[in-house]
Amino acid sequence: MSSRIPKWSLAGLLSLAFLVPVNAQTPLRIAAAADLEPVLPPILDEFRQATGIRAEATFQASAVLATQIQNGAPFDLFLSADLGYPKRLIDAGLADAAGTADSSTPIVYARGTLVLWARKDSHLPPPSLDLLRNPGLKRLAIANPDRAPYGRAAVAALTSLKLYDALKPRLVTAENISQAAQFVDSGNADAGLISLTSALTPRLASGGAYFVVPRDLYPPIEQGAVIVSNTTQRAAAHKLLDYLLSAPVQAQLAKTGLTPVH
Amino acid sequence: MDWQAFALSLKLATVTTAILLVVAVPLAALLVLGRSRWLAPLEALAALPLVLPPTVLGFFLLVMLGPRTAVGRGITALLGHPLAFSFSGLVVGSVIYSLPFAVQPLVAGFAAVEPALVDAARLLGATPARLVLSLLVPLARRSLLAAAVLSFLHTMGEFGVVLMLGGDIPGATRTLSIVLYNQVENFDYAAANRTAAILLGLSVVALAAIYLGGRPRGGRRA
Repeated sequence: MSSRIPKWSLAGLLSLAFLVPVNAQTPLRIAAAADLEPVLPPILDEFRQATGIRAEATFQASAVLATQIQNGAPFDLFLSADLGYPKRLIDAGLADAAGTADSSTPIVYARGTLVLWARKDSHLPPPSLDLLRNPGLKRLAIANPDRAPYGRAAVAALTSLKLYDALKPRLVTAENISQAAQFVDSGNADAGLISLTSALTPRLASGGAYFVVPRDLYPPIEQGAVIVSNTTQRAAAHKLLDYLLSAPVQAQLAKTGLTPVH
Repeated sequence: MDWQAFALSLKLATVTTAILLVVAVPLAALLVLGRSRWLAPLEALAALPLVLPPTVLGFFLLVMLGPRTAVGRGITALLGHPLAFSFSGLVVGSVIYSLPFAVQPLVAGFAAVEPALVDAARLLGATPARLVLSLLVPLARRSLLAAAVLSFLHTMGEFGVVLMLGGDIPGATRTLSIVLYNQVENFDYAAANRTAAILLGLSVVALAAIYLGGRPRGGRRA
């Protein structure tokens, strides 16, 4: 069989690997909670224009990123969707908030908002707390409560509403908040408890409607940042953190579905 | 130990293997006995899941066969629910994903049957079904066993497809490999060790059984 494949075709395929340009400067690597996926890329672009520092983000559920960092993943900065996972890394001596008043407490950079989102073409009434009690709601997507802070908030909200036990058999659990949104957007789930940041993306904003889950139903989603201790780019990581906390960027966060910290 | 997930994985692997043998035996026979030049693309198609990222398959099943396409609406009407987040969805995904693991050993086994025997059977007027069931399958029974065991194990270990369209529902889509992933992500390494040991043990025992079964005393058969 191999004799039928010209050798040059294989060589051509392999040489493709070398066509990808290699940048001399190592980018700042950011482990970012999935709710930042619609928010962070433009901010990183502007940061690069302002400072010349290139930063690349990996989006996942906060616990997944924490596990990766714990196992030596080469990240410089961890932007979690809660305070628990970054605190766990600090306690393990793997991350810190050096340069702030209290170096053993993650730096809160934003607060998250939980919403109930459904497609406009859904056969069910538009999202509201009543939708959660609607027997026509067959599948409700949430992020995995064991590893995604928004998933934990979703379970807390359903528990406050005394709906958790009734809805439990109808919950579908996504890896992270982006996948939860995608389960609903693809029509496979009827509605989802997702982040306001996802609900405000152009695609979801035009294709669906959201209802802000009352904030007294779940503990606040305080999003904390830490610097990974064995980073080689501590100064650059600090610069990005300061940039995130600056007034203009915080104002920008407010438009994308996060609550600024000041 | 999550026995519910263990039982679910066994059930998924059993159902998938049963369907695959029914599909793969005629398919492999066609590929070996057939003369059409369309068989090469068909063979390539049957081997495609070997190299296809499971995420591609998961994406197709989730979106292309989701409730927002015509095909997907047909499936939803037929099953009463979308393919995603259901055991039947995992079966569809697993059958496609493990297809080459059933087809390839059978093709090798059928091709190794003495062509003179096949010609003789044809001359005696054997129908294609008879040819396959009374000649090829008995003579290639070791390949049949290999196809069954490989399909079963590959389905037991399936992960990417399940992650993309499972929704982690206990008893329906939470398989053992998803449980292992959850345990690792939740820092429960002790439980992850036990789950991984079960998956590893099962694979080693089953593979050893195939290789021992195919090795008569005195040396390896050609």
